[in-house]
Amino acid sequence: MSIEILTLLFFGSLLFFLLLGLPLAFVLGGVSVVFLYFTWGFDSFYMVVSQISGTMASFTLVAIPLFVFMAMVLERTGVAKDLYRMMHLWFGGLRGGLALGTLAICAVFAAMVGISGAAVVAMGTIALPSMLERGYDRKMALGVINTGGGWGILIPPSILMILYALITGVSVGQMFAAGIMPGVLLMVLTSIYIVVRANLQPHLAPALPKEDRGTWPEKLRALRAVLLPIGVVVMVLGSIIGGITTPTEAAAMGVLGALISAAVYGELKWSVMQDAAIRTFKLTGMIMWILFAAHAFSAAYQSMGAQALIEGLIQYIPGGPWGIIIAMMVIIFFLAMVLDPVGIMLITLPVFMPIVKSLGFDPIWFGILFVINMEIGYKTPPFGFNLFYLKGVVPPGITMKDIYTSVIPFVLIEILAIAIIMIFPEIATWLPDQFF
Amino acid sequence: MSVLTTFMRGVTRLNDFIGRGIALLVFAMFGFLLLEVGFRYLLNSPTVWTNELSQMLFGVYAIMSGGYIMAHRGHVNVDLLHSHLAPRKRAVMDIITSVVFFIFTLALLWFGIDVASESIASWETSYSAWNPPVWPVKLAIPIGTGLLVLQGLVKLLEDIAIAFNLDYYQPAREEPEDSEGEYL
Amino acid sequence: PAAAQDAVTWKVQSHWPGSSSSYTDSLGRLKRVLEERTDGRLKLQLFEAGALFKATDTFNAVSRGILEMGTISPSYAQDKISLAGIASGLPFAFRNVWEAAYFHQNMGFEAMLREEAAQYGVYWATDKVYPTEMVVKKPIKSWEDFTSLKIRSSGALQTFLTEAGAAASYIPGSELYSALDSGIVDGAHWGAAQGALSMGLYEVAKYHVQPALNIAGTDVIIVSQKALDKLPEDMQKIVKDALAEQFWVRTNEYQYKEQLALAKAQAEFGVEVNTLPQDVQQKLAQTAQKLWDEEGKRGEKAEKALEMLKGFLTDLGYL
Ligand code: NA
Ligand code: NA
Repeated sequence: MSIEILTLLFFGSLLFFLLLGLPLAFVLGGVSVVFLYFTWGFDSFYMVVSQISGTMASFTLVAIPLFVFMAMVLERTGVAKDLYRMMHLWFGGLRGGLALGTLAICAVFAAMVGISGAAVVAMGTIALPSMLERGYDRKMALGVINTGGGWGILIPPSILMILYALITGVSVGQMFAAGIMPGVLLMVLTSIYIVVRANLQPHLAPALPKEDRGTWPEKLRALRAVLLPIGVVVMVLGSIIGGITTPTEAAAMGVLGALISAAVYGELKWSVMQDAAIRTFKLTGMIMWILFAAHAFSAAYQSMGAQALIEGLIQYIPGGPWGIIIAMMVIIFFLAMVLDPVGIMLITLPVFMPIVKSLGFDPIWFGILFVINMEIGYKTPPFGFNLFYLKGVVPPGITMKDIYTSVIPFVLIEILAIAIIMIFPEIATWLPDQFF
Repeated sequence: MSVLTTFMRGVTRLNDFIGRGIALLVFAMFGFLLLEVGFRYLLNSPTVWTNELSQMLFGVYAIMSGGYIMAHRGHVNVDLLHSHLAPRKRAVMDIITSVVFFIFTLALLWFGIDVASESIASWETSYSAWNPPVWPVKLAIPIGTGLLVLQGLVKLLEDIAIAFNLDYYQPAREEPEDSEGEYL
Repeated sequence: PAAAQDAVTWKVQSHWPGSSSSYTDSLGRLKRVLEERTDGRLKLQLFEAGALFKATDTFNAVSRGILEMGTISPSYAQDKISLAGIASGLPFAFRNVWEAAYFHQNMGFEAMLREEAAQYGVYWATDKVYPTEMVVKKPIKSWEDFTSLKIRSSGALQTFLTEAGAAASYIPGSELYSALDSGIVDGAHWGAAQGALSMGLYEVAKYHVQPALNIAGTDVIIVSQKALDKLPEDMQKIVKDALAEQFWVRTNEYQYKEQLALAKAQAEFGVEVNTLPQDVQQKLAQTAQKLWDEEGKRGEKAEKALEMLKGFLTDLGYL
């Protein structure tokens, strides 16, 4: 059977069983096993186990339960609540103020972690209830968290950039430097969107009524609430920048900071800790089972000859160099709807990179476009990690449909960002050129 | 019929018990990573075992979560269609899709047993500088998957009972999708 | 046209990422050579590290016949191959690449490896022998400089460096660059010059340490015996001959590219070669020899290989 038809059947059955409501992890795993059986035979199931035990042995993933646990502790002990109360007192007069504050926290979080999911879970736990409580539209709140939570792979450190550098041979340091200004660009674009939208439709992100905005003494007293979170951030970022820990180990510093905060709040109790641990277990396990199956799914697709398909596709592209770059972005965009980033890298980059280089484009610049496209992929239906992370923490009553539709404007913003960086490559290339 | 009920309750309790225990491993991972940072940064003598042990614990932690999460309906799905269906129709649909679930988990169980027994046969170690045995982690694959399969069986029995109005399982009043509040 | 009908395609799982020079130079070459010499009857379908199987499972996958071919580091097969420890390199044993090559091909070490792997249905062919060398942020000028180092290492070399008095720890490859940059570690080894260049390590560590920590057949091509037996006899011979030739071509080419990479590092990143002082080298060699004996305890074959190695090094006047 040709790879074109296999691809249609493979992704078709994925969509079919997803729509029937079978949990994602089992759809990915089951579809992989069935297709492996018909293309490679019974013995190939060994590959599924191998992919799973490989994922189990990934040290960088240890950061996920730790950052999630940190968020759970900060939420359970009331630190997070006070932080949002403070933000509301100070920025409450501004329409969309709370969403802007959430984006700022997301950016800080992104500078602490090299992966995407932890921030989504953390902000979904901490920020979402606070925004909903204060009358924010659920789609606005969900979209903000989904988009801000994804910045972790664009703002350094970033595991995805390191992988990109490893596969393509560009400098890790230059990739990191290249991510900073596009990160700022995304922040600015997203903030503009929120402010404009909140002023056109105030009910989406309402300002605090005048009488509730608090007096100056109240505002100043509320500022104490930022001290502990700032302390946690300093512990995590400081230990990475100061050469004390790797980004993964820094997650442990985050937990330490959260535990200290809990002690200050007098909430360092076994019941609180146990509760946070169990919720962390449920979330991390849910994420990991999806990841197990997603890796098996990508491996199965690669074994069927995915790379040959990409090689074939790229030959039919008209429109000169820019046509090819845009076509590559479109291919990545569609792959990212159904595959995980690592799988996409392994399938596309070996085909794309020689072409990108021979057309005279900067591979660092292409890498930034690639990473932003992966951020989009994390939140595009049907398969986007951030969507499912978020579904794992939202209060009952919020459906997958809410989450799916909430990302639309934010995906458009990121596509706009890709377009801007295509037109002005200096946004990505200027900073790394200063360093080396 | 009471045999079925006992089986279903037993499996769910087993998964609950194991899950609550494994969940505490997060403290161990935290502790070991912190210890390593301390040893390396403060005492300038990194250990060979802390990071590898955390990583191994994480592998066990992740794979053993499947059954517990299933018992608490924590495996995320796309509910676009699901949420509009009446309970009986939903149960019928879940019975049909459970085929895909069992294909995946049984294949994993079969080859997980294969891989684990091979690892135990040679008392496989990691051959890192610390060189710990890795077979306990490999053994966690079939055990974790086995627990998930059992819980999947419980879910299937529940769905059959709902679909055909059998009396061995009475669904509790509309269970909350997410169990945020249940531990409070 | 007739040949296309009996064309066989082998799935090949690499342990190198696509950007590694060996992915194209070793596997790309083998693919080309085999296709040419079999008139297109044998095709290789290459997969990057981790694409299908976890690197450490590749030996098992080939042994089970799920994969027809793969590349590994001998250490991935340590639980099966008792010689793997010696094959992946005893520290401070060989001083030149040609010595390791001679030991493998002319003293019979390669044949011993092949014999042991054959028990698992695997045809073992070392891709090349080459050095593993360290890069550090500040030069090592004395024994104190060495023992105060924090080094990113792995496997047997981590044991060796720790034993010798440095603080060696394992950090995954994906975090190595950041760790070296921020000073979590002051040194690391990732292959030698080409490896360090591909990981960007010279951007943050400017001293390339020589002599090598070890010189060994650290890259191996493994073929499923079952897949090999299925080929017609003329094609079996073509595969085996191509693999035998591969060793010499790649060992030589790799040395050439090492020097190119080092020259590039010196020119573009201002890297300096840091030759270890004589007393440091001597102390390291002493520590190393104690560890060799541990490897000999892996079994009868390992003991025999170690005897052979010691005899060889004695003949060369090193022991
Ligand atoms: Na980041
Ligand atoms: Na997606």
